[in-house]
Amino acid sequence: MSKGLVRAKGGIVENIDHKLNSKPENMQKVSHNSVKISVENVSKIYQVADAEDVPVLKDVNIDIRNNEFVSLVGRSGCGKTTLLNILAGLVPPSSGIVRIDGTTVTGPGDGKGMVFQQHALFPWLTTIENVAFGCKSKGMRKADRTEIAMDLVKLVGLDGYQNHYPRELSGGMQQRVAIARALALDPEILLMDEPFGALDEMTRLEMQDELLRIWEVRKKTVVFVTHSLTEALVLSDRIFLMGRNPGGIRREFSVPFSRPRHRSSVEFLEMYEDIWAGL
Amino acid sequence: MNALFSLSTTTKSRLVGAVFIIFLLIAWEVAVDLKWLKIYKFPPPSKCWEAFVELFTSGFPIEQTVDIHIGWTLWRIVQGYVLGCLLAVPLGVVIGSYSLLDKLTAPIITFGRSVAALSLLPLVIFWFGTGEAPKIAIIAYGTFWAMIAHTIAGVKFVDPLLIRAARTLEADQKFIFLHVVIPAALPRIFVGARVALGVAFMVIVGAEMIGTIQGLGALINEARNFYRADITLIGMALIGLLGLGISGVLQLLERILLPWNKGLEEVRR
Repeated sequence: MSKGLVRAKGGIVENIDHKLNSKPENMQKVSHNSVKISVENVSKIYQVADAEDVPVLKDVNIDIRNNEFVSLVGRSGCGKTTLLNILAGLVPPSSGIVRIDGTTVTGPGDGKGMVFQQHALFPWLTTIENVAFGCKSKGMRKADRTEIAMDLVKLVGLDGYQNHYPRELSGGMQQRVAIARALALDPEILLMDEPFGALDEMTRLEMQDELLRIWEVRKKTVVFVTHSLTEALVLSDRIFLMGRNPGGIRREFSVPFSRPRHRSSVEFLEMYEDIWAGL
Repeated sequence: MNALFSLSTTTKSRLVGAVFIIFLLIAWEVAVDLKWLKIYKFPPPSKCWEAFVELFTSGFPIEQTVDIHIGWTLWRIVQGYVLGCLLAVPLGVVIGSYSLLDKLTAPIITFGRSVAALSLLPLVIFWFGTGEAPKIAIIAYGTFWAMIAHTIAGVKFVDPLLIRAARTLEADQKFIFLHVVIPAALPRIFVGARVALGVAFMVIVGAEMIGTIQGLGALINEARNFYRADITLIGMALIGLLGLGISGVLQLLERILLPWNKGLEEVRR
């Protein structure tokens, strides 16, 4: 392990200065596991008319391994959603490159599914039609796409609700549909932008467990944006803490616990405290 | 009395409303009887009922019975309304899709909406004569502006999040237009359809001033020539009821075509 990695108490591997980590070291670090997404020197500047340019992200470098569950955590304004949108290909970076399996990302889709904070379901489509939307846009036959969609509806636990419209579902159920919809094209990467941020606490905890269950069934590389450290600790293999002005990765933690994780276990709380203390 | 107390609040308030209207009608009748109101200016309900019977049996003007008036009015409104919508919706969709076109046409549309359809009366007579064409043109004109403004807004203000979601699902421009933009615009287009229908009923009286004695608008104009306030009131009431009926049909149509929109419908009311 390189100079940037320090063994902290409570079994945390902390990468103190991420920015100084040069490329070869990164490659070395993940050599035992292939890199799925690599973010190289990505910066994003928003140009506002008649005002100074706003740097939202500066020099972000991350490698995300295949089938890894990674969280981006930070306060509002740290650019975590912007970074996710850049990964999704919805927003182009001002400079730098995002590669997936070595190929530069130029647009959305193409093996990248996305779940948004507001469910973003099409209100005029039923559950199953929403889930089948991606298959339909790819020109799949109705029987085929319905079969795929129904499997996913069952996977997310909504069997019996396939003919309901989004407005007839609870917030948690809507987000289940959104997850199923994002999985319909069987993407290798699932990008999630605070998907449970708008849910009440009980539903949120339930959905975290559900997501892990789904992730066990359909292994994906997941990039999960959240402002909740607890949520990130429950879900992730690795956590990237982001800061503001300019937005970027400040610290990186590997979460050593096996799943399912107990939110009230001593180790879990210790790690939570340690990360907070380091902020 | 117990039965009355056990009624639900909505039934009670409806009951109160009905009682109030009946009270007003009786008061009106009494006021005319006591000569507080002049009978030819404010024909009481009993007089209006007689006029209604007259309209039904012998007709007004003679032989023009109520079914003829209603039939003609409906037919003109349907023609003008459909024409106006057929022109406005495709054009609105195109304008709403291109922000440059939208910016260019915005002043024209605001201008067109502000020009009252009835002020076009002389022009349409010059252009189309005094047959059916000018009447339909007036109704189509009124319908057109209400419809196009709502269609443009519907297409323009599609939730960008839905478009982004579609893009992450590999939808191309054409697919997004057909399967996201158009369905998302439909509720607003239906609002436009309802507003436009109201406009069509507002201009019908004016449109039917042109060279005809058939139609509810013509009925009201004829009634003026004969100092028949009672017929005018009946004509007004019939136009109102007709509008209510068609608007109900439109609502039913919306419920069938946009079943997913029921929730919004409740919020909007």
